[in-house]
Amino acid sequence: MNMKPIDCGVVREAIPELVHGMLADEARVQVEAHVERCAECDAELVLVRALSESRPGVADDLAIRIRRAVAFDRQAVHRPWWALAAAAVAALALGIGVTSGDGVGVVAPAFAMEVEESWPWVLGEGTVAGSVVLEDLSDDALEALLADLVDEDGGS
Amino acid sequence: MNDDERGGSEIPDTELVQRAQKGDDAALDALVRRHQDGAYRLALSYLRERGAAEDVVQDAFVKAMRALDGFRGDASFRTWLLRITANEAKGALRKAGRRGETSLEDAAEVVTDHLDPAQWTTMNDQARRARAALGTLPEKQRLSVALRTEEGLSFREIGEITGSSEGAARVNYFHGIRRLRELMQ
Repeated sequence: MNMKPIDCGVVREAIPELVHGMLADEARVQVEAHVERCAECDAELVLVRALSESRPGVADDLAIRIRRAVAFDRQAVHRPWWALAAAAVAALALGIGVTSGDGVGVVAPAFAMEVEESWPWVLGEGTVAGSVVLEDLSDDALEALLADLVDEDGGS
Repeated sequence: MNDDERGGSEIPDTELVQRAQKGDDAALDALVRRHQDGAYRLALSYLRERGAAEDVVQDAFVKAMRALDGFRGDASFRTWLLRITANEAKGALRKAGRRGETSLEDAAEVVTDHLDPAQWTTMNDQARRARAALGTLPEKQRLSVALRTEEGLSFREIGEITGSSEGAARVNYFHGIRRLRELMQ
């Protein structure tokens, strides 16, 4: 193959693409040929390769945390204000903690339930977002529950 | 396992985004797995603290997924997500009142926080010195060098992500690389 020589500027601009395997065959051959006979460009290739190969990796559980945060945010976005209030009152009546988004609820000893880690509403500390538990109730049912609980709480 | 394998290299981002916009959770998961590494490293380049960087990435994905319906593909999904991550990282730096710069003396200590002990054990001496030197660069040079060498991004993409011009990204990269080579000698 008859290759045109390329200068150091062109090579150094292309070195990251070479390291990441993004160069087309012809360009790759040209850059590699230049680096073989140019100590300065070779030193730069070694440096870029060292940075690329030592790049930090993510924690194993980061994807799970991201998906959990996205799922919880979606629930929060679609949850009307009074549903959260109802959940809070219901949780107080049942003796469980409720979180509103980024807080951590407290699980009281008066109430215990089995939870699965795969549930989207189970948060990092193992607490349960109470409003999501009530998600299946209709608007009327939630309002009625809220009214009942307030009455009950006021009467005790 | 590389980044593509994490996110399923056979399906392009544009298709995953379209599916995610229609409520496909599997597509959303694939986008997270494919792009969390780059977003994390970008956040780390700004914040230089693993816990803070993870929080920023989490917040960036939440904001990106909220805005996904409005994503029209003018930029690639990766560039768009990294731009959001950069903004979140800058906000976190402002909140914490930190400058994101370190002196040469404390750089080695700060940089070691980027990697867990197992990663440091397996990293060769050349890489250790390069990474320690990277931590001493001014923020703009550090970002350009990191995004170019770690992610293979173009200068245009780096400019879009960091809020600078393509030319400024190129100048910052080459100044940073030259400084690293001086520090490595």
